[in-house]
Amino acid sequence: MQDSEGALVPLRSGLARPPPVPGDRIDLPLLLAAAVFGLAVEAQRRSLHAAGAVAGRLRWPLRVLARPAGAVARGSMAVAGHHLNLDGWAALGLAEQRRAQAVAVKAARTLIAALVAAVLDEIDLDQVVGRVNPNQIAARVDLDAIVERVDVDAVAARIDVDAIARRIDLDAVVGRVDLDAILARIDVPGLTEQVIDEVDLGEIIRESSSTMAGETVDALRVQGMRVDGLVSRIVDRILLRDGQRQTDPPHGQRQP
Amino acid sequence: MTRVIRHTEARALQGHRAGFASRVVADLVDLGVAWLLGLSVLVAAGVASYLLAGPPFQLPVLPNWLDAGAGGAIAVAYLALTWSATGRSVGKQLAGLRVVDRGGRRLALWRAFIRAVLYVLFPAGLLWVLASRRNASLQDLVVGTAVVYDWAYHPAEEPSDPADQG
Repeated sequence: MQDSEGALVPLRSGLARPPPVPGDRIDLPLLLAAAVFGLAVEAQRRSLHAAGAVAGRLRWPLRVLARPAGAVARGSMAVAGHHLNLDGWAALGLAEQRRAQAVAVKAARTLIAALVAAVLDEIDLDQVVGRVNPNQIAARVDLDAIVERVDVDAVAARIDVDAIARRIDLDAVVGRVDLDAILARIDVPGLTEQVIDEVDLGEIIRESSSTMAGETVDALRVQGMRVDGLVSRIVDRILLRDGQRQTDPPHGQRQP
Repeated sequence: MTRVIRHTEARALQGHRAGFASRVVADLVDLGVAWLLGLSVLVAAGVASYLLAGPPFQLPVLPNWLDAGAGGAIAVAYLALTWSATGRSVGKQLAGLRVVDRGGRRLALWRAFIRAVLYVLFPAGLLWVLASRRNASLQDLVVGTAVVYDWAYHPAEEPSDPADQG
């Protein structure tokens, strides 16, 4: 019962504290109207309370009686709707409701704007900024994720390098460079010596020549082996020998 | 550092007794090296004579017996030292050969010396390689040595047989 009462009287708490009047000047007509409305609401609340108490005691008989009463009410409502201009009144009511809503929204917006302006006036931004720890914020920023979302190619494509290059006066830049001073500071003979020291020409020549010599010697040795075999076969044939020569390694000879 | 032998045929023959052609090539090269050594000795003697006695500079002219004897001595020293040291003279190094004893080991100095003397006195003993079934020259048979294909470089010398020492 208390819940339904609360729902029926939503403006009660608002009425307990009337809206401030600009300049603290009492507007008598407004005060009277508000008092009348408050009285009506209080009367409605008490009558509902009383009706609720009665209904709580007479629930069952009322329910029995309510059925035919409801049917009668529905019938009389249909008759009334047919004979009275209910639709017109409903349209009028709806229009009034919408107008009231528009006024409320406008008032709320004005109030919010005024509130925000007042709040901002009260805030000392320097103090707020002073309390901000940039390092902490930076630590919470995921730079990788941001960079991933950046299309570097697209950015590069939008840069007109030619235009930038055209704006650079190379002659002026070169004219400001004192080449002689730079050259005087460079130890060319020292650098040359360092480069020559780093490049071990002797090692390069040694490696290449030893590889070439090694291949030549290998070829010579292989040819020698083949001629050895050929000579041996020819001599063996002349001497009418059968079978191969015994060229096995001497006992204990290290095998490669 | 052992060089990789790429020739399959050559790899298979490593350690086997070498034939006539390779040995002749090696010995011809050694003959040239010995001749150069003798010439070097003569040039050194000529320079010494020039420095001591003055111009003209000329190579000393030796009597034939001394010429042959000194030449033979140089050749014997060269061959004996190289065979006993590494088993390979310059010619054998070039031909990829190594002189070993019957056990396949490096020659002892005395064995190398006798072999060198025999070669200098009777080089024709090498021809026996043609006839020998084991590719042995007369010197090999007398001294008990063999010449094998061995291209590998052996940084650590194999120890000689103690029985062959001295």
